[in-house]
Amino acid sequence: MRMLRYEIKKFFSKTVNRAILIVVILIAAAYSFLAAGSIRYTDANGENPDGIGKIAAGRKLAADKNQWKGELTAERIADVVQSYKGLRRQYQGEVPDNEYGKTVQSYWDILNFTANVYTMEPNFLPDVIDQISEEDVNYIYDIYGDNLQKAAEEYGETSEQEEFIKEQYGKLEIPVEYEAYDSWETMPMYIQTYVIILAVVIGFMAAGIFDEEFRNHAELVFFAAKYGRSKAIRNKIAAGIITATAVYWTGVGIMTLISFGIMGTSGFHMPYQFEDPDSVYAMTQGQRYLLIVVCGYIASLLSASVTMLVTAKMRTAKVAVCIPFFMFCVMLFIARSLSDVTRVVYYTTDVLTNVLQAVKVPTLFQIGDFVILQIPFVMVLYSAVSIILLPFIYRSYSRYGLH
Amino acid sequence: MELSFKNVSKNYGGISAVDDITYTMEKGVYGLLGVNGAGKTSLMKMLCTVIRPTAGEITWNGEDIFRLKERYRDLLGYLPQDFGYYPNLSVSDYMMYIASIKGIRPGAARKRMKELLEMVGLSRYKNRKMKALSGGMARRVGIAQAMLNNPKILVLDEPTAGLDPSERIRFRNLISELSEDRLVLLSTHIVSDVEFIAEQILLMKDGKFFYTGTSEDLIASMGKDVWTCTVPRQDVNQYLQKYPVGNVKHVSGGAELRILSGNPPTKNAALEDATLEDAFLLYFGEKAGDENVEI
Repeated sequence: MRMLRYEIKKFFSKTVNRAILIVVILIAAAYSFLAAGSIRYTDANGENPDGIGKIAAGRKLAADKNQWKGELTAERIADVVQSYKGLRRQYQGEVPDNEYGKTVQSYWDILNFTANVYTMEPNFLPDVIDQISEEDVNYIYDIYGDNLQKAAEEYGETSEQEEFIKEQYGKLEIPVEYEAYDSWETMPMYIQTYVIILAVVIGFMAAGIFDEEFRNHAELVFFAAKYGRSKAIRNKIAAGIITATAVYWTGVGIMTLISFGIMGTSGFHMPYQFEDPDSVYAMTQGQRYLLIVVCGYIASLLSASVTMLVTAKMRTAKVAVCIPFFMFCVMLFIARSLSDVTRVVYYTTDVLTNVLQAVKVPTLFQIGDFVILQIPFVMVLYSAVSIILLPFIYRSYSRYGLH
Repeated sequence: MELSFKNVSKNYGGISAVDDITYTMEKGVYGLLGVNGAGKTSLMKMLCTVIRPTAGEITWNGEDIFRLKERYRDLLGYLPQDFGYYPNLSVSDYMMYIASIKGIRPGAARKRMKELLEMVGLSRYKNRKMKALSGGMARRVGIAQAMLNNPKILVLDEPTAGLDPSERIRFRNLISELSEDRLVLLSTHIVSDVEFIAEQILLMKDGKFFYTGTSEDLIASMGKDVWTCTVPRQDVNQYLQKYPVGNVKHVSGGAELRILSGNPPTKNAALEDATLEDAFLLYFGEKAGDENVEI
């Protein structure tokens, strides 16, 4: 434990690591305020708050929308559709901003969901609402069920996959319990960008744990010490994992606290399908956020493991520190451009830091009868890779000079 | 207590840094002398299990040191020539970290650190960052860390490199104090570092030990006497070409030379007592005069 304590102390005593940690925290704070400021709220006069007032928009919007909080029955949806249609008629299709702020804003999500159920596309088109009859709305959940059935048949490439998707859709609780979820809808984009930054930064910092012996010419004393080729290396690896964990959760924790502290946490339990009706991921808005941060954590551990291994092998961090950038940034573009050519890119490292997009695509992995979704698969895969690499780091470092 | 090299060689590519050395060391101070590139550092790295010999075996009491692993390294204290440390740690944190990787329990480590910092005169600086220490102070920390586990084998590679004369004297005295009841191998190209403290001198050249023995025997084996004589300044070059010259001192009326020769080089030459420096000059010839070599 003492060895580990000093290893961690060494890590945090480095000026560059301290500076990075401060920058990471500042980015978390800045992103939180940017996220909070990105929520649009329109008041009863049709005005959007400016400056510091934008920060409070999230809570005001949630308060406005939560007048519809509760079970979203077909009758309530019908009321919303009727109200909106009436306003569209009244204003010849162009609802003015003050009317939007007074009325429409509060049920905008419900309108979106209604339109999405019919189109099965996550884009709200006001014209779609015009085409929905009162009778149609009464059967909205039946229509939704039918559309999900069709989606399962379309997305499932085998009978097992089709069955799996139906099972996922079956987990959706109908009628939906509505609650304003703007903070959970806004944050994923920001937190996802932030976890990419963290994964790259953590790789850089972890590489330094193994690089410093060589950079400071301290390796001779280290390897000549009693535990220099055994326990001390295990403690270095442990320090890499612990500091990666500490840096990651400090950053994510600060960003989460500030963001949701400002915007509020309303809507954690809202089904993700309310936003993306045919997503095969049966989860809530809050769970999607957690999925992004957990995947980001796995990405950070992978980043730390890979950079520690490459540094231990090469005795320098120069190449190692470039690898996380390749894994989580460059790979994203490569995967995108090759997605039509090979399915391999569905399981590359960038998926871990691109959950926001991945949950929208019904990519399944099948081994025999066993079907698994893309994200859980990459989570298991890269968690295992991160752990499997650890003995190799130990082996590479402990054999220094003995070849 | 027996540390043996058995036909030990170390090659880097096609270059032989250590060439088939066989030698046994017991308790006492061994001065390893040689010019830069003689193979001293490679030999010491092998001795400290940092690198493995290309051929041969190093044994401690009959057992291969690489097989003994932790049991051997537990007996070892090492101050490398290029002593590196963690610049942002304080002296005491650095010492405690090294103590931890040497497997010393916290209480004992703290006590030992206090004693050693006292001994190397750094008690006042224990909270100072390593990067804020002067070169001499850092090397003193270096020797303190090497002594943390009270090693049976103390390996000091060029411990006085880069130190000013007063620090070198302090270091020599310190090493002399530490040499009791252990094997100390001290590598240097500064003859005066080992002249008075080493019981055995090992002269190393081109990867081989070409002389091993006491400094008195080494001096006696020279087969040449040491003379001082004063010659006209214009003749100095002529003498430098003809004899190994240990010292040239400009004096009124010419230059006073310290010459190694079987016969008196001049009529007025006075016979002097030979020293280890003279032997070094004789055996290492021109290389002893390299700018890197201090006598």
